[in-house]
Amino acid sequence: MSTHAAGTRKGAADRLRDIESVTDAGLARLSVDDMLVELLDRVRDILDADTAAVLLLDAPTGQLVATAARGIEEEVYQGMRIPLGRGFAGRVAAERQPVAIEDVQDADVVNPVLRNKGIRSLLGAPLLAGGRLLGVLHVGSLAPRHFGGTDADLLQMVADRVALATQARLSETERRAALVLQRSLLPERLPQVPGLEAAMRYIAGGEGDVGGDWYDMFTLPSGWVCMTVGDVVGRGLRAAAVMGRLRSAVRAYALGSQGDPAGILDRIDRMLRQFEPGEMATAVLGLLEPSFERLHLSVAGHPAPVVATGNGPATYVDLPVDPPLGVAPPVRRQAATIEVPPGAVVCFYSDGLVERRGVSLDARLQQLCEAVTVRPAEEVCTTVMVQLVGHHRPTDDIALLTLRRLDLPSAEPLDLAVPAVASSLRDIRAAAKRWLTSVGARPEDLIDVLLAVGEASSNVVEHAYGPKGGLVHVRLELQRPDVVVTVRDTGRWRSPRGDNRGRGTHIIQAVTDEVTIDRRSDGTEVVIRRRVGEAG
Amino acid sequence: MRDARVDIAHDAGRVRIAVVGEIDLANAAAVEEQIVAAITNQVTCVSVDLGEVDYIDSAGLRVFFSLAPRLAGLQIALELVAPLGSPSRRVVEVSGLASLVPLQPPTDRAAG
Repeated sequence: MSTHAAGTRKGAADRLRDIESVTDAGLARLSVDDMLVELLDRVRDILDADTAAVLLLDAPTGQLVATAARGIEEEVYQGMRIPLGRGFAGRVAAERQPVAIEDVQDADVVNPVLRNKGIRSLLGAPLLAGGRLLGVLHVGSLAPRHFGGTDADLLQMVADRVALATQARLSETERRAALVLQRSLLPERLPQVPGLEAAMRYIAGGEGDVGGDWYDMFTLPSGWVCMTVGDVVGRGLRAAAVMGRLRSAVRAYALGSQGDPAGILDRIDRMLRQFEPGEMATAVLGLLEPSFERLHLSVAGHPAPVVATGNGPATYVDLPVDPPLGVAPPVRRQAATIEVPPGAVVCFYSDGLVERRGVSLDARLQQLCEAVTVRPAEEVCTTVMVQLVGHHRPTDDIALLTLRRLDLPSAEPLDLAVPAVASSLRDIRAAAKRWLTSVGARPEDLIDVLLAVGEASSNVVEHAYGPKGGLVHVRLELQRPDVVVTVRDTGRWRSPRGDNRGRGTHIIQAVTDEVTIDRRSDGTEVVIRRRVGEAG
Repeated sequence: MRDARVDIAHDAGRVRIAVVGEIDLANAAAVEEQIVAAITNQVTCVSVDLGEVDYIDSAGLRVFFSLAPRLAGLQIALELVAPLGSPSRRVVEVSGLASLVPLQPPTDRAAG
């Protein structure tokens, strides 16, 4: 036994040099897995051991997972997991100090790989970085061996260096993964909505660590436009992943909602409490009516948006602020409605924009209100970032979403080309309604023109194309005092089939002033004129 | 079904059906299915409220053009409710459906 005692094979100076080899520069370029394997080889060599293994702590399950091994590679291939406090590695982790076992046969060893390999003696040391347990490093000997105090000290020194290198490498890997994930979870670009202008800025995490901020804007088939900015509490990969799930959930719930932002946030709240217990998020959610006239808002523990209408300085919206999402007990969430006159600018943002150490929140909000004016959305974003971030490196994620309702009158014609299918009809009407509102049509005229547009488009869907399908082109043009609607297709009409058909054209004639139908072999064009009064 | 909701309330032999939302080619069949399902053989009077319908066109009206003669044959009364000035009132009147099915509130002939 004494021949295996520490220090007999190598002198102290040699061993110290060996330890240096554990951290040499050549390792820096390796991935975490390759680096660990290389380190294990060197450790095996230094301690003259037969096997060496690193098990890293999987925090969510509290289990040690075999991550790298030499001499007992199968442990990694099998994805061996050891609960904290159990078995040899579990004991090292629990005691947070080196543990030696002279005879495996007598000890509590749960890992069958160790037994099957014929390992007789083991020495393990915890991987600790900044007081945090990262995992366990252990070496084994096939011959019975007494690992002494010197061996233990040496292994612990190596373990400390492995821990530091692993932590640095892991956090770098996680940071990169989180950045990639975060980018993939945020919208690639904002939707282009006629009559609206949108711009955004997104700064991913200060201090090299991503957070859980998100922003989103999307249109709904009903013509409503939904926008949201939110912040998942916490940082890193996990926060980014939760953020992604929340963003998808908001979209899904918005699809089933009828202009009810509080209802959407309420469902998100319930979803978080049920499926992501322990997670918390703040958010502001806005639903803009298809006419763009009014914005319905609900806020969950999040800073309220800032609005500029050109009539006096910008102000932040006075809203009832409900608790954050994911916090018990559930509450009845509230919503508020604000007017959005033509030209108005609305800014949604996350707290990273307005919070700065040593500066009062009120002062920062005041700064933000001064930076938001009725100008193009891109310019507003630029000014806000210059004024509020300037030369200060952000210490938190910043999400900024600026929306501007374009000025009246939009005398530009509206041109749509959409698939001639029934589900397009609603989108056509929503776009037409927006355009008619923007040119100031009165409600009673709006009803009639929408009906004419709907009937003419419906006719194309039903009669113009066979199963191959095609497009329906819709154009609305202002020729004061008339609106001229043109609905065009490139199909060959067939006569109506079934009962109760062909009533549409009669209805168009009844609610408009002039209808011409030009049916040719290469398509049909319906031109409708309707006088519209200006809204009072 | 998309974009329309059908609320049904039974009251003795009477069924009140309220449609909320928009009815067009995309969802007329689904609306019809729900309305027909609500009219059991015990019903003697059907009232369909279109007051909360934001949009309905000839594709949506087909539901009632086909329902009216069927109910008449079964001796079941049908009435439509559409407030004056509402989008549905306008279509029901210009389509001629109002001559087939009684419309509430009644049109004031003197004022019209």
